[in-house]
Amino acid sequence: MHMRNRMLWVTTAITLAMVGALSITVLVAQTPAAGKKALPKTTTDTDAAIKAAADAFKKETELKTYTVPKTSWGEPDLRGVWNTATYTRLQRPVELGNKAFYTEEEAIAEYKKAAESDAEVDPRTVHYDWKEYAMDAWQGGTRPNLRTSLIVDPENGRLPPLTPEAQQRRAAAAAAAKQQDPMLGIKTFGNLYTRCVLGLGALPLVRGGMPGADSAAAAAGVTAEAFFFQSPGYMTIVMQSNNDVRIIPTDNRPHAPSQVRQWLGDSRGHWEGNTLVVESTNFNDPKPATHFLGATDSISIVERFTRVGPNTMRYQYTVSDPKTWTKPWSVDTTMPRVDPSMIYEFACHEQNYGLINVVTGTQIRFREGTRDLRGNGAPE
Amino acid sequence: MRIRWTVVSTLVAAAAVVWAASIQGQAPAPAAAGQAPAAPRAAAPARPAAAAGARTDDGRPNLNGVWQAINSANWDIEAHHADAGPHNNIMGAWGAEPPGMGIVEGGTIPYKPDALKKKQDNFKNRMMVKVSNDPHRFDTGDTELQCYRPGVPRANYMPFPFQIFQNKEQILMVYEYKGAMRTVFMDKHQDAPVDSWMGWSNGRWEGDTLVIDVTGFNGHQWLDRAGNFFSDTAHVVERWTPRGRDHMMYEATIEDPTVYTRPWKISFPVYRRLETNAQLLEFNCVPFVEEMMYTPLGLYNPPNRSSR
Repeated sequence: MHMRNRMLWVTTAITLAMVGALSITVLVAQTPAAGKKALPKTTTDTDAAIKAAADAFKKETELKTYTVPKTSWGEPDLRGVWNTATYTRLQRPVELGNKAFYTEEEAIAEYKKAAESDAEVDPRTVHYDWKEYAMDAWQGGTRPNLRTSLIVDPENGRLPPLTPEAQQRRAAAAAAAKQQDPMLGIKTFGNLYTRCVLGLGALPLVRGGMPGADSAAAAAGVTAEAFFFQSPGYMTIVMQSNNDVRIIPTDNRPHAPSQVRQWLGDSRGHWEGNTLVVESTNFNDPKPATHFLGATDSISIVERFTRVGPNTMRYQYTVSDPKTWTKPWSVDTTMPRVDPSMIYEFACHEQNYGLINVVTGTQIRFREGTRDLRGNGAPE
Repeated sequence: MRIRWTVVSTLVAAAAVVWAASIQGQAPAPAAAGQAPAAPRAAAPARPAAAAGARTDDGRPNLNGVWQAINSANWDIEAHHADAGPHNNIMGAWGAEPPGMGIVEGGTIPYKPDALKKKQDNFKNRMMVKVSNDPHRFDTGDTELQCYRPGVPRANYMPFPFQIFQNKEQILMVYEYKGAMRTVFMDKHQDAPVDSWMGWSNGRWEGDTLVIDVTGFNGHQWLDRAGNFFSDTAHVVERWTPRGRDHMMYEATIEDPTVYTRPWKISFPVYRRLETNAQLLEFNCVPFVEEMMYTPLGLYNPPNRSSR
């Protein structure tokens, strides 16, 4: 779905075609030995996928007792590939008010609606049918969800109000974008994913779904796999998207010195019973981009990973950034386990001609005078 | 450059200590097979926790930990003397190239005549950056300059640490340079499903030696900044043999009938980073190369209104 959101910013036909070409090239390069054997029905048939997702959802929610397996060195075993895509929105739709949960039937109906709209192709607006490349979320093992939003705190399922400082920051960024389209040059191009600096959603892992909803890098149906490699003293998470790697020591060592600032911060983990608790700080100032949802380098994130079923990981996280939100907010969701348990190389920067084409297209429109302000192109 | 050199100089000092300890026979012998690993959970471990046991719980050498080679092979894997670096008018001694005895067994890479010429051309064009949309976009200078994945074996002797994570079924190797990674499949071997920069790694134990068969290269890899290279028909067999708890010998046999007249071999020691706070940090070099790569295309700085 990120592909579609990315498409939304790119309003010229030239760049549309070229971004599409990038996506396809990346996928072709990543798809193992395609065409040799029949694809599973759940990646080709929406009805089959919806039924499988509903069955898995019911089976895992009905699980009353589950004993988490242990690794040979005695830790709860979280190994495997966990899928981070979801159709659940980060923020609860306002019309749902304080309704935090769907019934089972409603959850399945919502999922069905989302999967079907995801699978739909409008030939007037879409140049490529993403599901042909298994880029739709329903093709990757995403399941229905009883929750109506990922956010569980605040109670209304919505992000807390922005601080005055964040409101000013946002207004200034919008004013600057009116003066000059940030996509006119890579120096001002804030999108880290298109630049291949970061993949989609390594931290936090699950960000909320539905095309057009919430953040631009919301729930990707493609490359939504997180590979958990567990070894004594470490949990290492390798993302399929951009092959971002998070190395999380679990040996109680202190954080890196505060001078060390990183794109993905500095993570430390410890076990609380069966739950792996990971605290991340030391984020960099990613200008001209921002962190998750416009956060600053003072963001900190606490994640909790608990395996609650053979194929289900409960994933909770709390985000704090006193420079952005008036209070911390929290998410509670799950990630299904998917096969196979491996990650393919994602060489993004090595062939990033999509970036060249996006910026070139924007500059052409700028010189023609048809699109000097983002989204304000003169009529063709 | 500054960061790399700091790491190297720190490492040289650390290496001297490690080296001295090992030749004095102070490195403890590996414990008997099957011994349970020590797993200290102290607040300030004397050594990295994962490095504590000499053996894993399935009796294999315990390679968990942060490692680094200490040599100048990334500049040239063959023997070479020191030289001024490119742009020494501004880079001075920072940019100069350190000397080295080389890591190639027998001293010389057995290139076929055409391949030797390509190697020499590569060296001349090592700083060529040609960013384009066409299939020749990789027919250009050193991949490292442009922050491309380094491939294997080069990743193992770049002047950056790397970390090995080991369990019975798989071994994960993460390199600080670019955060490049590779999974070594110990249990389920298969042919490379697709060509890639880092190759496809199938591993096995031969006694205490970790043997990794690497294939499936995309043919864009350079072996160093001097232009040494192989093609997409390359086959690399690595052998990692512990020589004590804190160092191991690394050997790789490189076979590529397209480029070389016979298989040839490199070898060098790899040392454990013994700092108690040893940790891979991010070296996400994409933002460091954008200005160099995209300015010639006019894409780095936004055009101003007068240029419209």
